[in-house]
Amino acid sequence: MIRAAFASTAITAGFCLFVLLVVLVPVALLYPEPGEVLSRFLLGPFEKTRYMGNIVELATPSMLTALAVVLMFRCGAFNLGVEGSFFLGGLTTAAMVLWMPLPPLVGIPLALLAGAIVGSLVCGIPGILKATTGASELVSSLMLNYAAVFIGLFVLNYYLRDPTAAMLSSDRFPAEYRFESLIPRTRIHIGSIVAVVACIIGAIYLNRTSQGLEVRISGTGNDFSRHLGLNSVALNIRIQVIGGMIAAFAGGIEMLGLYSRFTWQNTTGNGWTGVIVAIIARDNPILIIPAALFIGYLQVGGDLVSRAFGVPTEIVSLIQALVMICVTSVAIFQHPALRKFVQGNRGEAAQ
Amino acid sequence: MTGNETTPQKALVEFREIGKTYPNGTVALRNVSFQVIEGDILAVCGENGAGKSTLMKILAGIEQPTQGTIHYEGRQKRIADPNVAGDMGIGMVHQHFSLIRSLSVAENLALGQESRRGLLIDRRAAADRVRELAQKFSLDVDPNTKVGSLSVAAQQKVEILKALSRNTRLLILDEPSAVLTPQETQELFVQLRSLRARGVTIIFISHKLHEVRALANRITVIRSGEVVEDGVLSEMSDAAISKLVMGVDVTRASRNQRDLSAAAPVVVVKKATVATGDADRRIDAIDLTIRAGEILGIAGVDGSGQEGVVDLLCGNVQPDEGDIALLGRPMALATTLDWRHAGMAHLPGDRFQIGGAPQMSLVDNVMAGSHRDRQFTRGPFLRVGAMVARTNELIKTFNVRCLGPREPLNSLSGGNAQKLVAAREFSSNPKFLIVNQPTRGIDVAAAAMIHGELLRLSQNGTAILLVTSDLDELLQLSDRVAVMFDARIAVVLENEGLTPERLGPYMLGLEKAS
Repeated sequence: MIRAAFASTAITAGFCLFVLLVVLVPVALLYPEPGEVLSRFLLGPFEKTRYMGNIVELATPSMLTALAVVLMFRCGAFNLGVEGSFFLGGLTTAAMVLWMPLPPLVGIPLALLAGAIVGSLVCGIPGILKATTGASELVSSLMLNYAAVFIGLFVLNYYLRDPTAAMLSSDRFPAEYRFESLIPRTRIHIGSIVAVVACIIGAIYLNRTSQGLEVRISGTGNDFSRHLGLNSVALNIRIQVIGGMIAAFAGGIEMLGLYSRFTWQNTTGNGWTGVIVAIIARDNPILIIPAALFIGYLQVGGDLVSRAFGVPTEIVSLIQALVMICVTSVAIFQHPALRKFVQGNRGEAAQ
Repeated sequence: MTGNETTPQKALVEFREIGKTYPNGTVALRNVSFQVIEGDILAVCGENGAGKSTLMKILAGIEQPTQGTIHYEGRQKRIADPNVAGDMGIGMVHQHFSLIRSLSVAENLALGQESRRGLLIDRRAAADRVRELAQKFSLDVDPNTKVGSLSVAAQQKVEILKALSRNTRLLILDEPSAVLTPQETQELFVQLRSLRARGVTIIFISHKLHEVRALANRITVIRSGEVVEDGVLSEMSDAAISKLVMGVDVTRASRNQRDLSAAAPVVVVKKATVATGDADRRIDAIDLTIRAGEILGIAGVDGSGQEGVVDLLCGNVQPDEGDIALLGRPMALATTLDWRHAGMAHLPGDRFQIGGAPQMSLVDNVMAGSHRDRQFTRGPFLRVGAMVARTNELIKTFNVRCLGPREPLNSLSGGNAQKLVAAREFSSNPKFLIVNQPTRGIDVAAAAMIHGELLRLSQNGTAILLVTSDLDELLQLSDRVAVMFDARIAVVLENEGLTPERLGPYMLGLEKAS
């Protein structure tokens, strides 16, 4: 069992590397110094502490949004409201910080909590609609993401806007509310630790608590949970609200960790990245951590070659898309020969 | 078999020292050698997990042997994949259907061998082909209906047609009767005999001895991956076969004869009607009483309302009219959870869809439902150690064959999965137990074990509702039998010298209780 789990992780990692090279090598060949492009993309992110810091900064919000997605997917809810939740969470946290000048020790948790509660609506409402009317949570959560953005822009424009700023943005946050950097020369903040701990708690919740077991049972389909008499409707709503809260909390953390003003004028894409990470992690909370770091690494590598050689950053999206296709190709994963190949190799290596 | 004396026996398939070891070390087959004679109906018997299905999958190209060779028509062949098997004229009908429910019959049959017109699939040609095949083999199906809307028996016909669609000379059926009613089974057998008359050789996997007798002329018995018998069926007694299959004599559990008239009623249903939902689950003014320690059997042609009664008494539906009481408590508005709290347990008909979560581990499957019991929790956390210990204990008492408690449910054979689900439901000491098709598609030993458990529970005072389409099982276990017809209970009979023939007219609606 453990060996099989290991095998599927190894296959995923293998695919990631394979796709990386399949996309990168032809692209690199278009430039005068293909070797430079390749090494800058692949090794560049590790050259400086700052770049490695960037990987962690990028991975932090996607770990949390991915955790939200994993919890909802594992419960059988295909809710994509994380994007909107993240946005509203960031907005509400920013608004709280600006409007309620409390001492930071009370104010920060309160602002994050308020963000989580407001942001959870984007995931929670589709859950309630599904339970009461049968409307697909996939469709309603996608649509609600737009509503969240426009509500946010309205609030920003009419209530938060700093009239003296040149761009559409809020007032500056008081300095004592912003998270301090934990490692010099990076912007890694407390949120990264929170995200890793959250993923571990998520794994414990799913695998080691009674309610986690109910979540997993509900996720396998309705017949078995109905047979057991579980109230999977209520559980589903609850998980979607919790998922929304986690994603919105991530938005608040991102806001206080990396920004000095609220400047988002559209959703940030952190939710979508979370979905990608969740898929690569194959719905396993622990694997979210390496998966998010991998996606962060791709983004930093893409940025570096874009700045140095003018390589379009779209190749990062291309790599992400291909990795997702590979990971979701269950057919490939369940290919017995491939599996055997990997497991067999491991077995021989062990001896 | 008189024909065999005049025409020489020609082997269509010969297995030579076939062995199969899975990568995880499980030995499924070792040294299997025997012949399949052309024109025979060969029954392959054995317990669940004995290796029958593996052997047939090797023949159909789905799995590869790790040892030995297969000779087809005298020549050594390597059957690399199901397509090769198809080209050789080997077709297989699986126990779990491989049809796509959202496609029509014709589309399902054409899949993988579509006749094209330009870039498009020639639907008319596909439909004509189905009609032609259906006529040739006198299997009556409409090419344009969606497979999902067909009854199980009709789906099986489609599956057989699909297997026959490529000039098939050898047809393999994996427990074809497991999903059928007795009537449908009879019809299937007529069709199989006529196929044989057309020169199709048939290999037929079954657990049911009387079916083997009715259909086959040769028998091969496999036990723990080895052939223990291969011979002419008429030369063997039932007892001998059953001993070969099991390796030991199986004693059939028999009913406890006792007076139950004084026992307290556990479940009382009065004029319960459920009008909504699909037609097969409708029930109309049902009256039922099940007493403590009683096994009440429900007989009826499939779809006569048995499923409706099960739905009603496990809390899946609430009655539109009428009353239900469990131990004097009104249950008309109760949910499944209320029923379970009140002492109901339920062994459902579908162990992989309803009774368990196939991808989840045995521990999760066994502990689901008692995962909130104080014994297995510490605050919100599960006591995994206690759960694994409990699972191991149940695996041992119910003799579930598996690699360990962390294995996923879907790697177990049907019979072992059923034992596991039964272990969960039976071990909760239910006051009222619903069992729906408890032994469908599982081997004699597993069935005997489940029967024994049911009788033990009834002796301890559990009221049991037994829904089964296996009349032998029904009459073997039930204290009383209620026969359903057209969503109503036609009659309730004491099981005193009751025979299937007595039940028949009620099942078909020809007679009603006065």
